[in-house]
Amino acid sequence: MIQKKICLLGASSVGKTSLVKQFVEGIFNEKYLTSIGVKVDKKVVNVAQQAVQLMLWDIEGYDRYNVFQDKYLRGAAAYIIVVDQTRSTSLIEGLEIHSLAQKANNVPAILAINKSDLQANWHLEDSKTIQYQTLFNAHFNTSAKNGSNVEEMFQAIAALTLQEQ
Amino acid sequence: MPKDISISDQESQQELEKLRQIILGQDNQLITDAVNKKARGIVSDVITEAFHDRQKKDDSIKKVLLPIVENSVEHSVTHHSDRLISSLYPLMGSLVRKSVGAFLTNFIEKTNQLIEHSFTIKGLKWRFKAWQAGVSFTQYVVSQTYNYRVEHIFLIHQETGLLLKAVNLDQQSQNDAELISSMLTAINDFVGDSFQLDENGVKEQLQTVSTDSFNLLIKPGPSAIIVAAVTGTPPQAVNEQLQLTLEEVHHLYQQEFNQFNGDNALFENVDTQLNDCLLTEEKPEKASNQKKPWFAWLMIVLAILFAGFKTLNWYQLNTLHQQIMAIDHEAGIVVKNLDVHSKHLISLDLMRDPNALSVQNWFELQQIPFENVVLKERRFYSLSPVIIKQRVDKLSANFPDLNFDWLHEELILTGNIDFIKYQQLTAKLETLGINPSEVNRQNLTIMSSDVLAQSNTINQQIFKDLVGKISTIQLSFTSGDDQVNQAMESDLLQLKQQFLYLSSLANKLNKKVGLIIMGSSDNTGNTSMNNALSLKRAENTAIALTKLGLDREQIFVTGLGQINIKDVKNTARKVMFNIIYIDDTAT
Repeated sequence: MIQKKICLLGASSVGKTSLVKQFVEGIFNEKYLTSIGVKVDKKVVNVAQQAVQLMLWDIEGYDRYNVFQDKYLRGAAAYIIVVDQTRSTSLIEGLEIHSLAQKANNVPAILAINKSDLQANWHLEDSKTIQYQTLFNAHFNTSAKNGSNVEEMFQAIAALTLQEQ
Repeated sequence: MPKDISISDQESQQELEKLRQIILGQDNQLITDAVNKKARGIVSDVITEAFHDRQKKDDSIKKVLLPIVENSVEHSVTHHSDRLISSLYPLMGSLVRKSVGAFLTNFIEKTNQLIEHSFTIKGLKWRFKAWQAGVSFTQYVVSQTYNYRVEHIFLIHQETGLLLKAVNLDQQSQNDAELISSMLTAINDFVGDSFQLDENGVKEQLQTVSTDSFNLLIKPGPSAIIVAAVTGTPPQAVNEQLQLTLEEVHHLYQQEFNQFNGDNALFENVDTQLNDCLLTEEKPEKASNQKKPWFAWLMIVLAILFAGFKTLNWYQLNTLHQQIMAIDHEAGIVVKNLDVHSKHLISLDLMRDPNALSVQNWFELQQIPFENVVLKERRFYSLSPVIIKQRVDKLSANFPDLNFDWLHEELILTGNIDFIKYQQLTAKLETLGINPSEVNRQNLTIMSSDVLAQSNTINQQIFKDLVGKISTIQLSFTSGDDQVNQAMESDLLQLKQQFLYLSSLANKLNKKVGLIIMGSSDNTGNTSMNNALSLKRAENTAIALTKLGLDREQIFVTGLGQINIKDVKNTARKVMFNIIYIDDTAT
């Protein structure tokens, strides 16, 4: 089976862990996130009748107390930058992480605008932020709470990794 | 001058190159063509020896050929099964027999092991220790049976942490192998970045992760990491085998590593190499001639003997205690305390009636040595029927004219006795614990002839005693009842005898006597009813006494009605007696 390493990156409290929690098979406790800064789960998706096993590296949130952990990005086939649509600062932080990640590993990236079930503070289509769309291979408005667009996002990133081969 | 020499060298080199091209052709093409033409022959001449030499050198031929042979056989089974069946047919019978035989042998052996582990003391001990350690029985058996056992081998891609191949000792797939591989890589990255670089400037790598009974051995390579999960303590040989296998895998799969894009199918056949790492080493059986712990056994035997002796001693003392305690059932003896310290020291504290059997005699009757008894005896007056009978027997010697018979617990007196002796007898019986009113005197005749011969003073005293005694007699009735019952007859009989004797004494003393019978009632019901009831009780009593032989004319009957005295008003259902006497001289 084809396996791909996918990293989930983003600022603290944007919902990275929640985003994968309901949709993956995992055996590790979330305390690993705070101890070594990463927790690995897996999810199998089918792309054009081909099964792809995504190894999802949920990396601890980046904020003033945590430096960007580029070591965990090594060997990743793609990554997802998760931002919070109720917090515009999370977009800025996400873009900063994206910039650092591109320097460490220039692979496809998807922007997940999470918490779509809540009232948005900003929209990617706004005139000020629309320019950021081009920085990513795709973007999705997701909700970890109701599962909206999560499957689609994993499908898309699996397809992206296969295209890159 | 040096410049001329340099130009000359260059020309020589160019000429030599031209000559080489003429002989060997462009890029050695002539040589290559010549070799290619005869390659088949050249290779076929040496291929067997080459295989042999290489196999002998590093054992790599069979590992390379194994997947090819497996694929060929699989292809043959799929596409040319008929040929294969024809070839194998002669062998099938013996193969099946051998397979069934091997299965049965293995099955019996495993069953024997299971029974051995399940029902022996060792098996039970292991189960208990496994429960104590919080591990499964199987895990504990493995830890006790093997010095070490390589349970799983993971081959992990160095850069991505993706699992390339996993092999397990029990052939069962490890579902979480991919997650474990990735997490292990993450931890390795964490260690590498968290600690200082080594002296060569290379990041630190995890080599071993150890718990009490489990070890992860990690061998990093340029393209892949090999990880062994080992129970027990692995020797250096396991590390060496891991290193050899890692090098071999890198050597054989260099191309696949370069092409790796996440598809681990490229490494499907690497289990041939990884299986070499599934090493185990059983613990040697403990030598059967090991030193026996004789001293411990001796102590255990002594302890058992001591316990047996103490138990037997306790049993004997307990039996003796029960034997001696039987004295408590002897009439007139009450045991207060008994301590049987040993067969030779017995403390006995008891109370004994003087009429009861002596303690020494009792011990002799029971054949228990009395000399070992420390006796503390106190006297008491027993009311045991047996003792009372013994006392009455002794008393009977003083009254030879009377017969003393017993009907169950009732004393029956028969014969003639004068009144004075009768009074003495009654007083004696009372001191012996017998109520005179409970003595059967129906066949006892009290003679009064002697009385008449006595002096007036004595008669006067006896007369007063009799008046007093008669006035102490009372009959008790139940609520609302006025009938004289069987239980009252004894008192009435006594009253009749005493009154007759009193009458005879009165004659002697020139007195006139009469018997006053007074009935009473409690305060239940109305007063007129109670007056009538109290009178009726007195009248019925008078009738009964008349039937016994008293003269009705000497009897006066009256009803007192309710007795309104605080303490008795609820229970005063009585008939009382009194004597009225008048001196003749007074009239």
